[in-house]
Amino acid sequence: MDIVLIIEMIAAAVLAAVLYTIIGVAPGTDETAVLAPVTLAIVLAGVEPIVVLTFFISAIVANKVTDSIPVALAGIPGGVMATPMVEHALVLKKHGMPDISIRKMASGSVIGTLVSVPVSLLMAQALIPFSDVIKEYANPLFFIGAVLLALMTKNKVLALVSILPFALLIEGLRHLYWGIGVVPEGTNVFISFFLGITIGPVILTIFELLHKEKRDSMPRFPKKTIDFAQTNPIKGFPSPFKILTKQETASSVLASFIGSITFIMSPVGMTIFLGELFSSRVKDPVKKASVAIASMEGLTNATYISGTLIPLIALGIPLSPMAIGPANALFNAPPVFTTEHNLHHILSNADFVWATLIGATIALAITYFVTVKYAHKICAFVFRWVPHEAILGLFFGLVLLLAFMDAGFINIIGVLVIGLFAGMLHRWGVNYGVQFMILYSAPWIITWF
Amino acid sequence: MDNKNRQEANDNIEVWEDLVRIKDLVLAIAICAITTMGAYFIAPNEAPKPLFFGLAGALIGFIICSFIIKPKRNFKGTGEK
Repeated sequence: MDIVLIIEMIAAAVLAAVLYTIIGVAPGTDETAVLAPVTLAIVLAGVEPIVVLTFFISAIVANKVTDSIPVALAGIPGGVMATPMVEHALVLKKHGMPDISIRKMASGSVIGTLVSVPVSLLMAQALIPFSDVIKEYANPLFFIGAVLLALMTKNKVLALVSILPFALLIEGLRHLYWGIGVVPEGTNVFISFFLGITIGPVILTIFELLHKEKRDSMPRFPKKTIDFAQTNPIKGFPSPFKILTKQETASSVLASFIGSITFIMSPVGMTIFLGELFSSRVKDPVKKASVAIASMEGLTNATYISGTLIPLIALGIPLSPMAIGPANALFNAPPVFTTEHNLHHILSNADFVWATLIGATIALAITYFVTVKYAHKICAFVFRWVPHEAILGLFFGLVLLLAFMDAGFINIIGVLVIGLFAGMLHRWGVNYGVQFMILYSAPWIITWF
Repeated sequence: MDNKNRQEANDNIEVWEDLVRIKDLVLAIAICAITTMGAYFIAPNEAPKPLFFGLAGALIGFIICSFIIKPKRNFKGTGEK
């Protein structure tokens, strides 16, 4: 590896860590929605594959560490993955310990990263012998994945029944585009449909604003009053291992390990399940909350890293909720990456290790420093100056741009259609995982008829 | 301070777990759409320049919106001791 490439990787990691520290803190930002479009743009811009991976790893680590800052300070999740922690963080906040809560979360993140990187590399090596078999059945596996994830949702029958209509909608649009000649036959429009699903809930809400009765009946709120907890600035930099008690360290390590090997499961589901499992035996409310946030933070970090790295190294097809969602651009971003030619095929094992190490180390160094020292200032800045409208506008602009680049003006309407349908499914509880699996298996499902 | 805020009209709705005012949301979407697509179309027509211009346009739209739209959040508590 030459020195220029290493410098590029370091620069990409620093950029990702800074960018995703801000995005991570902003409330209500869904991980898929904030990670996927930016990663896609970088891939499509033709950045070196190894630099892309470094950027992505740094982005997920930074995003994970910082999206829990507002949870600790104000009880407001900075992202979907931070939601399970709200309850426990509020206990610590009530006891006047938001700063301790932040430090314990940051330490949990460090542990999660340290555990998941080696475990993912080992798991991937163990899976490689089976990869040919798995790849051969990739299409049915995506369909099975859709069915399995559907069975794990609240409204199982609804989720199952929606698989075929949604597949038909996706393929219907693709065939229409071929029919009128906006894309060459055989080219599957993918990126913009993916983003249409991601931004679906917002598109549905915007449509509802045009519906008079709906608009009038929408609950209205005054400005949200955010109760900021006070923090005590600390001097020096405590080691992450000294911040956690032995019990917290042990449960974070164990939770991260289990999270890494269950990379195929839903990260939010595992976080809630394991976090509650580990903390349920602790009686004292403050200790219980500390164990819960430290192990949950470690676990979410671990599921993110392993969910990206294991399918990427061993398979080259996105067979995990993480890979098919936020990390999707690393697997499939035509014309640069396809499922036959992506990071899995381009990078060597050593490349994966280097990209992961550089990305994770830089992100941890920057965000750990920042969270322990400046959490309060950053949080106040973002809450005070970044309006939610601007974030929604930014995503809308990105979707518009990528939709147009995929298949011209007609695709902007196509993405609206996908977004409306997907947004409705999402509101009914058919989560992103199910919908992305359908998007992948749609061409195969249509061959049944 | 608290009293004054309570007298403000309750005209915010919840989208994606945070509050927005409908007018501001429409404005933000219009601004970002115009800056993004505007930048995309004025870019020289050689890949990947239109994409880069479009992304820069989206970012410019985001920054403009941050300046002209006020977040719907109030603060209690004094922050750092």
